[in-house]
Amino acid sequence: MSQDQRQAWFARVVESGLQNQIFNPSDVLAHATPDVLATHLPPELLSKVLQASLTAGSMTPERVLETVTPEMLARHVPHEVLWACIAAAAARAGLTNQVVP
Amino acid sequence: MNVKAFFVDALTSALDLGIARPDDVLRHVTPDTLAQHLPRPLWARLLTACLGAPRVDAQLVIETIGLPNLAEHLPAQLIWAVIADVGGRALGHAQDAPVVVAKPRTPTTPPPPRPLTAPPPPEVVVAAPRPTPQPMPAVGPDIPAPASAALADLINELENDQPAPARSRMPTAQRFRQSNTGIGRLGSAQRRPQVAATPAAGRPARRGGTEVSDESVGAEIAVDDSQLVDWSSAEQTQATDDDFTDLGRKR
Repeated sequence: MSQDQRQAWFARVVESGLQNQIFNPSDVLAHATPDVLATHLPPELLSKVLQASLTAGSMTPERVLETVTPEMLARHVPHEVLWACIAAAAARAGLTNQVVP
Repeated sequence: MNVKAFFVDALTSALDLGIARPDDVLRHVTPDTLAQHLPRPLWARLLTACLGAPRVDAQLVIETIGLPNLAEHLPAQLIWAVIADVGGRALGHAQDAPVVVAKPRTPTTPPPPRPLTAPPPPEVVVAAPRPTPQPMPAVGPDIPAPASAALADLINELENDQPAPARSRMPTAQRFRQSNTGIGRLGSAQRRPQVAATPAAGRPARRGGTEVSDESVGAEIAVDDSQLVDWSSAEQTQATDDDFTDLGRKR
């Protein structure tokens, strides 16, 4: 599998998880922490996040993910981080026997 | 929370993007699992498709049942195991998701994880081109003389392009199993014991080379006509003893 295919799949899974409420934006930011975002997001994307928050007057996880879409997450954030988010949601839903982090 | 829709999205995109293969799904969704959880109408559809297909493989099973039906009827833990397997492999990890099955099955050893990206090959140092070597003189290897005379004859024949003299042929071993008729015993060299002939009285059994008979050469011997044999009309000679020595060789 190529990097593009892997990236597209993670983007789709994160998007579907959000749409189907397997996890919510807060769960995503619990793994994609500000440190992670600041480390891996490009400067222009960080700028957009800040600009959107300034415009709205607040920075919420939902608003962050409106700018940093699942496609952007899959492109810039390490996939291990995204997978940890997905796996934790599955554990919370009782789909696995793993301990919920 | 719509877990099933999430499952369908994750598996559909994984199959579409080549992240997962139908075999990955059937590694967890075994026929036993399908038999336990799949409704009969879906089984009928699957059997019909398999009977009409020239080749039955995992792709046919998945396409016939459909991922929504799999997510609808199979246990969520099972579908998640497939997704976890795919996700782990996408991250370059080993398949750490255990196979969730209803019945114990033989565990399979997963292959060792392979890195997704191989390091670049080392730079190849191209040396200066070497000149083409001069052709070497035609010097053949020191071939030892053949050990056997037969091989030497064959070599001489090939080298001289002349037929080799006829070689003596070694007698071959017996190629056929002897029958159990006992006829071979007749052809053996053993002769049955015979009674020594008694010499006629008054005359020696055999004369020596220098012995002179005292009988007259032209003496008449009385012979009956019935004792005469017409040799010209006789077709066969009559054996006078039981010597069947040739019989074994004729067989």
